[in-house]
Amino acid sequence: MQGASLHKTAEIVPLRSPANRLGALRFRLVLAMIVSYLAMMAFLIHSARHATQTIVLASDFSPAMIALASCMAFSVILTGLFVLVRHGD
Amino acid sequence: MLLLLATAFTFGAGGSAYSAQSDSQIHQAEFSTIVFFVAFAVLTLLISFWAARRATSSSEYLTAGSSISAGQNGLAIAGDYMSAGAFLGLSGAIYASGLDGMFLAASYLASWPIVLFLVAEPLRRLGKYSFADVLTHKLRERSIRILAGASTLVIVSFYLVAQMVGAGELISLLFGIGYGPAVIMVGLLMIVFSTLGGMRAATWVQIIKAILMIGGSAMIATLVLARFGFNVSDLFRTAASNHPTGNKIMDIRGFAQDAVATLSLGIGILFGTAGLPHILMRFFTVSDERAARVSVFYATCLIGLFFAMLFVIGYGSIALLRGDATYANASGALFGGNNLAPIHLARAVGGSILAGFISAVAFATILAVVSGLLIAGASSAANDLVVGLSGRQLDERMRLRISRIAAMALGVLGILLGLACEGQNVAYLLALATAIAASANFPLLLLAIYWDGLTTRGAVAGGTFGLISSVVLTAMGPTIWSKVLGLGPAIFPYDSPALFTVPLTLFVCWAVSIAKAEPEEDWRLAQPAVAQYVESSNA
Repeated sequence: MQGASLHKTAEIVPLRSPANRLGALRFRLVLAMIVSYLAMMAFLIHSARHATQTIVLASDFSPAMIALASCMAFSVILTGLFVLVRHGD
Repeated sequence: MLLLLATAFTFGAGGSAYSAQSDSQIHQAEFSTIVFFVAFAVLTLLISFWAARRATSSSEYLTAGSSISAGQNGLAIAGDYMSAGAFLGLSGAIYASGLDGMFLAASYLASWPIVLFLVAEPLRRLGKYSFADVLTHKLRERSIRILAGASTLVIVSFYLVAQMVGAGELISLLFGIGYGPAVIMVGLLMIVFSTLGGMRAATWVQIIKAILMIGGSAMIATLVLARFGFNVSDLFRTAASNHPTGNKIMDIRGFAQDAVATLSLGIGILFGTAGLPHILMRFFTVSDERAARVSVFYATCLIGLFFAMLFVIGYGSIALLRGDATYANASGALFGGNNLAPIHLARAVGGSILAGFISAVAFATILAVVSGLLIAGASSAANDLVVGLSGRQLDERMRLRISRIAAMALGVLGILLGLACEGQNVAYLLALATAIAASANFPLLLLAIYWDGLTTRGAVAGGTFGLISSVVLTAMGPTIWSKVLGLGPAIFPYDSPALFTVPLTLFVCWAVSIAKAEPEEDWRLAQPAVAQYVESSNA
């Protein structure tokens, strides 16, 4: 009984201390995602407020649509990249 | 038996509505619709019974015994996101105001990399039934579990509202019955389905539904494009000429009015997905971290594909439904509400058979998503709230029983809230739920995983602040305060408070944690669950 108790205590400590530190790759990818999203949002708001300059004919994709599509594609690419990089883990 | 009764009640009512209103063009339940509905109901019933036989333990009931593969989980996660709220709400939002709806879609998709990079793998490594398992690895268990349970139940309730509103409108339109009876009937079906089958049934219904939803959406999108000779320019031109705002539907409009409100909504969605209990629960259904990681990738691809098709469906509905007296009134509002844009569009391009199929898929979507929500809420109630309040671990039998009772209680709550929120845009309600998740759950999860300095005191203070502030500010915002409660001008000017509450929650956690360090001995003595976890992991 005493032995089992000691075993548990010995196993607990390593769990707490490493705390899954944010790796450099993760940090950069999170930052890239947040920045690209905020950039997309800023562009959308800017283009909507300056509609006469940025809206093209309705027969084409508007810059706002392209910005949205780019952000969506970037999300998928980043996710795929991360899974690819960690494929061997 | 209750499920059979509820099913019979639903389709019995549908049949009456069909015979009574057979002359109506929209408010009728056509034969094809009923056939598809019955087929889906029977299928879900069979899955429920099959899963119910296996759901004899709480881990099987709540997490399908962690035996779901990465591909299956990816489809199920995608299915969770292809909810009625997203399918009906985003299409409705695009129909009403163009690109605004796609902005919400892009925000939801952008939240998935955040989930993958920050929480998916640690959650699978450290958790078992709820995200509180991760927090209690380094924090005192009791107070954290009470907090996590409370926040989970609040978030699940908000999310339930969006699904119930979509369900009520859908059934009301298809079977020509009132919104109230429709919500009650759907609610009964959902309660029985989730109580019986648990996570395995919810997962398999999600998988089947995700495949059907992608297939159905692809069919509508293809038929819409075929109407315009697969020329997207023609589609946009027709949509712009039909919409009262003209070319402005090619740009965001509503979200451009107030940059702070848009930023707050965006932050809420971006970080909120990583705090949604029913999404986090999905990572406990796979066997290891690698499966969790790969399943997010599959899900992100499928969700991206689905949103791309919603784009065509949304603009197609503007081009083909606006100005058509069969589907919309003179002001352009669709019969049954703008949330029904994809159903009407399916009828317009594919006739009653496609409309019936899409309606039944949307119905299956509601069943599956709400089941996942109820199970997430039930898991948290049994493993967090009851354990936290009682201060003792539950045995297997008691945990299973409490989980099932909690699922039923949450179902009843969902019905009541669904009745109170009739007419609200469901996509927006989803955004509010994610804002609360971003404020209450995400900061705690992030700090618990990545910051060793977080103390129990800091987590409880920050989490309580995040939960209360986000709920109160959301309630005082324009949607709840003015539209739902009708109390006049909103006290808080923004619908989503996440821009303020997320950083403030992080700050409170940090400030309280560094103000007084937690003694290591205190932590160890308060952590019986950690030892249990390690012991079971080693075994």
